[in-house]
Amino acid sequence: MTHKIEQLILASTGFFWCFLMWFATAAFSPSIREDYDLSLSQMAILASSALWLAPIGRIVAGWAADKFGARNTFAIILIYCGIFSIISSFAESYEFLFFTRIIVASAGVSFVVGIQHVAQWFEEEEIGTAEGLYAGTGNVGAGAGALILPRIYGTNYSDAFLHLGIISILIAVIYLSRGVSAKNEQRALNAKNTATLKGTLFVWTRWTAVALMFAYAMCFGLEIAMNAWLPTYYEEGFSEQLDKLGYTETEDIQIAVGTFAAVQSFNASLFRPFSGYMSDLFQRKRWMPFPMITKKLPYSPRIHWLMTAMLCITLMMILLTVVGLLGILPLSVVVLAIFGITVSFGTGATFAIVPLMFKDRPGTATGFIGGVSTSFAIAFPLIFGSNNLANIHVGYAVVAITVFIPFMLFFIWAMRYGENPEEHGIGSKDFWLKSEMITEDPHIEQSEVSK
Amino acid sequence: MTENDEDTIEYESWYKYGVMFLYFEMFIAIAVSIFALILTFSGEGGISKQ
Repeated sequence: MTHKIEQLILASTGFFWCFLMWFATAAFSPSIREDYDLSLSQMAILASSALWLAPIGRIVAGWAADKFGARNTFAIILIYCGIFSIISSFAESYEFLFFTRIIVASAGVSFVVGIQHVAQWFEEEEIGTAEGLYAGTGNVGAGAGALILPRIYGTNYSDAFLHLGIISILIAVIYLSRGVSAKNEQRALNAKNTATLKGTLFVWTRWTAVALMFAYAMCFGLEIAMNAWLPTYYEEGFSEQLDKLGYTETEDIQIAVGTFAAVQSFNASLFRPFSGYMSDLFQRKRWMPFPMITKKLPYSPRIHWLMTAMLCITLMMILLTVVGLLGILPLSVVVLAIFGITVSFGTGATFAIVPLMFKDRPGTATGFIGGVSTSFAIAFPLIFGSNNLANIHVGYAVVAITVFIPFMLFFIWAMRYGENPEEHGIGSKDFWLKSEMITEDPHIEQSEVSK
Repeated sequence: MTENDEDTIEYESWYKYGVMFLYFEMFIAIAVSIFALILTFSGEGGISKQ
């Protein structure tokens, strides 16, 4: 016998450890650079490589969670990432280290597996808080890695990679022995039976799925992009102010601008459960402030909360540009801290909707929305740092106006349907799922617990 | 769920502990942010200054 809280703790722990392994390379990047005498461009490639496998990896992992169950999928990810983390600790060449760490970085795909796992256990009225607790607590692994690992291991990243890998395999063993993929047999079967190619294409072609993917690009995609971009932004955009504060050496400037970036990242992670709670609260109070968005769906208030979050993110992006142009560093960092909180509103709000909107395909939908949106993390910094912009501060407003406002307009358009929103997209539901609909019956629930 | 259910939802016992934990996480985020920023803006955030 198990309890859903045990499953929530298992998923959160597994995800936390996966994020720790994912960002462990970045935490030791100065030591790695020194040991292998790497150039700045090689370091940039190593940093960006952490994202290469995320879009396609998350799509596959989401589908696999539906097909084979979250327990098996999560354990496989923990085991292969653990093994490659151990192997990477014995690397003697940069090429070998680079190759093994890219595979370890794919641990980030576990996010969608845990979302599916939690969705298979928790009820509609509590899904926001449950998913928020899972994702928010797990995301802290990234910040914890940056803060804790260098303090424990100093420059000895090989030992860190070895120990992280061993513990990952131990967590996988616990996941296999205590994990249960769904609350009951029928939920597991529904997900398994719908994890087909046609089912996947059906989700990808729904306007609502695309709208949620854009929404997640505006929050999580942006969060990851800002992690990479902010140190450069503050170093370039506020060099005089940093100099006045006494940060003149490269090492000191690096710590100071890294702190600003960490404030954004920490707030975006740790406020995420609160956003899930807000989604539950909107649902409970039936708050629906936007007349253009449907109020008829059972989970409509959650969509309105996400729209609120998207507006807040866009507003904060424009404010970042304004305070940047004014050249007030403390005010810019305060705005950045609030910006991090609004980003968490978006991430928490999105995944309080996905499992409800795509009840029979939670993994496939999560994989698409969580995966494709990550590719925007590569695109946004290119706009922020574009030579065509008047200066380094205006990039945020440019993205807000030229990308986010069209995303929001599409979101409003896609979320106007009051009945069966899944019917709308490229091709009808019948077209994609005619053969499967005969066997589907999502309303049957059995008490038997499914492995 | 319908509109009539809005204030009649009864959460399971875990929920209140979950909400307490998320407030704790928010407190950690605010505390870490304030601490880090005070260090930075007092000019003590760099390695060579500690």
